[in-house]
Amino acid sequence: MSEVTIEDLPALAAGAHLLMSGAGQADIEGVLHWVSALLAEHGPVPLVRPDDVPEDTVCAAVGLVGSVTAQAELPMAGDEPERAVRALEARLGTQLGAVTVLDTATVNALLPVAAAALLGLPLVDCDGMGRVFPLIHQTSYALAGVPLTPLAAVGATGDTVVLDAADERAERLLRAAVNVSGGWLFTALYPTTTGTLPRAGIVGAVSRALAVGRALLDAADVDDIAVRLAAQTASRVLGTGRVVDLEHRTRPADAHYPAHPSSIVVRTHAQPVRSIRLEAQNELLLALVDGALAAAVPDVICLIDPHDGSVIDIEAVTVGREVQVVTVPAAPVWHTPQGLALVGPRAFGFPIRHPREGRVRHPGEVRS
Amino acid sequence: MNRPRLPEVLTVAELAHHGPLGRATMLAAAQPDGPVHHVALVSDLEQVGGCRPHTALVLHMPAAQGGWALESALRTAWERGAACVIGPAEATVNRSAVALAERLRIPLFIIDEDPAQYALDLAAAVAAPGAARAQLAARCAAAISEQSSLRGIVGVLNTELPGATVALVGEDGRLLAGRSAAVDGDVSVPVPDVDGRPWARLVARLGAPSASAEETVTTILRLARTQLAANAARPRLSLARRGAQERLLLDALLTDEPGNEAERQAQELGWQLAQNVIAVFVRPALGAPAVAPEVATAGVLAGWYEEFGDQPLVPHQDGWVSWFADTDARRVCAVLRRRLPKVRCALALTAGLGEPGDLRGSLHEAALAASVGVRGRPGTVEYFGALGPRVVLASLPQEQLGPAARSVLSGLLSAPDGEVLVQTLGAVLDCGGSTTRAAARLGVHRNTVSGRLERVRARGVDFDDPEHRLAIHVACFTLAGTGDAGRDAGA
Repeated sequence: MSEVTIEDLPALAAGAHLLMSGAGQADIEGVLHWVSALLAEHGPVPLVRPDDVPEDTVCAAVGLVGSVTAQAELPMAGDEPERAVRALEARLGTQLGAVTVLDTATVNALLPVAAAALLGLPLVDCDGMGRVFPLIHQTSYALAGVPLTPLAAVGATGDTVVLDAADERAERLLRAAVNVSGGWLFTALYPTTTGTLPRAGIVGAVSRALAVGRALLDAADVDDIAVRLAAQTASRVLGTGRVVDLEHRTRPADAHYPAHPSSIVVRTHAQPVRSIRLEAQNELLLALVDGALAAAVPDVICLIDPHDGSVIDIEAVTVGREVQVVTVPAAPVWHTPQGLALVGPRAFGFPIRHPREGRVRHPGEVRS
Repeated sequence: MNRPRLPEVLTVAELAHHGPLGRATMLAAAQPDGPVHHVALVSDLEQVGGCRPHTALVLHMPAAQGGWALESALRTAWERGAACVIGPAEATVNRSAVALAERLRIPLFIIDEDPAQYALDLAAAVAAPGAARAQLAARCAAAISEQSSLRGIVGVLNTELPGATVALVGEDGRLLAGRSAAVDGDVSVPVPDVDGRPWARLVARLGAPSASAEETVTTILRLARTQLAANAARPRLSLARRGAQERLLLDALLTDEPGNEAERQAQELGWQLAQNVIAVFVRPALGAPAVAPEVATAGVLAGWYEEFGDQPLVPHQDGWVSWFADTDARRVCAVLRRRLPKVRCALALTAGLGEPGDLRGSLHEAALAASVGVRGRPGTVEYFGALGPRVVLASLPQEQLGPAARSVLSGLLSAPDGEVLVQTLGAVLDCGGSTTRAAARLGVHRNTVSGRLERVRARGVDFDDPEHRLAIHVACFTLAGTGDAGRDAGA
């Protein structure tokens, strides 16, 4: 058993940034200060592995659903985690013994720490995504059959929503509630017991985010980052070069997903010069090197500034900017056939197979 | 002559030149010589991975939806050794896709029609390569046979050979028809005239040069040769015949009482003779090479019509006559001076203009002016009204004076360089006895002129005697006008 201290928070935030796969970081400074103040007041939060607590301990994932940007503009009052958890407990008729994480990316890596501190509960070192996906049912919890609901959500306007629905319906209903609640809802969802987490959660996700963050913050330069990241996550550098093209709405959009598709084309510096095409829709979803698929969702694809080692958001990419394209493998659960069906390239509208699925071999292939 | 047989498979370049790919827009033209054995219509990207080598891949949406899909298809096509990739018009084609196609050397095309129907057309062409080539040759042969001008025939070649530009170039390098961009092209086929003598070359520049495209284009250029030679000869033959007919008609019109039939024919030809006209008499410059009259007439008429369009020119006596329905002779004179040197024919031409009036009167004056003009440099145009005192010289009855002049100067003419001596003597007398000015006019050294004058004196011609001087001057002038001493005396 370990704990999350004030000193860990910057590394957790940095790791969460990289695991966003290029999605906009927005302003998380406010959340970072708030969580730091909570830890100063309540002390470090215990970070437990699922088997560190009794297996019948009731737990639920907590996190923000909606827009992080909206949350920065309309900040939390501070009591949302407690109100959401209490509402869920009232619906369940039992008290939570621990909280888990929805996804260890963006503010959702920090908010469960705040919830645990406020409620005086341990934080289970586990999440449902290992990165971030756009839809709340795209989780390992859902994949393992843990129901998404009942869920309880609290918004900036003080409303509380308690929802019972099938997973995909819950997504739509909650998204509608988000739209009329100022753009975000603090949500407690996937209620279960810690005994199910070893098979239903991505265990060690918080520790991994912390390790990734430390690799980013402690490295001397971008090459050092690559070495440290590879050691922690088996990441790969696809290439370093200059952005030569930005294209928007380059393919039909799937109405289920927020944001519009766009593309980034990077011409690499090293000889032979390669063209890296990145397909994005909120997150970076595909990377093709000279037309060959090199990385695809659910693996994390991110851009790092080769000069200062910082993570570059898609929104900050401009033509002429230098970037290093890095891919970090997703949790093993996402490379199963069921995982790829839920969050693989086809789930995002790309009619191709993930590199882990292998290519369909045809007789008489002449090149490889 | 044994020519290598064309391969039994069409290449991408051939399909682009005279097959269905000619209808497509070529975005990347790398490796056009690749053979096309198969055609595949692909609607799923994974099907690209199953295509056989040398396949033309026709992408159907959604296999080309988004720039990434096209790049992915190009990459897999390269891995599979495909011949080319053809995308639908709706495909997102961006710079990076085109650059990738060029780097992978995969020809990339975009079509603006139904991919399924297009794939069928392409498959039909690929299945019968000989048919595609024969069809093209037959189509060209049929279209060429319908043409009656050089320009028309070369136009057919330019239209029917997509991707190639064709020009017909004379032996002297002059563009006779077609596009000047093709003059230094990749393919050249000699075109002899109807007598088998070298006359011109058909030259083609290929948009995407390849061995097979060169073969096909050469075959079709050869098809056009006979028709070109026949068309080139036709105007010359018809011009000579037309010249002979019009000469008779003009002679009839110039008689005291031209018949009604002659006037009717003149009307049919569009000759405007009822009003005041300015006659022009065109003659070869002195020193022009001797050419058979009918050949000269055909050449001069062809060159004249090329420069002056429908303006009539009719053979008459030792020259050709034209007339302008105008009253401002100086304006006509200026036009002629500017354009007569541009008339393209082997003979250097000069001309004389008469005053405005009826054709007979004006023509008489034009002939007099021409007899002065003929002594000038090629392109000289003399206007009767501007001759001044020289009109006396122009009016001399040269035919009657000729024998007397040859008799008077027989001593000089019998010398080996007699013509040179006569011309030199004429020049000295023209220049008032100044050997310096005469030398400048003849383009020789003054001492040469002095030497020639010594030989003139030695042959008993005393041109210093005031009583003989005018007669000798007139004799020299006359001989120069008849050509007896008209050759270049500058050597």
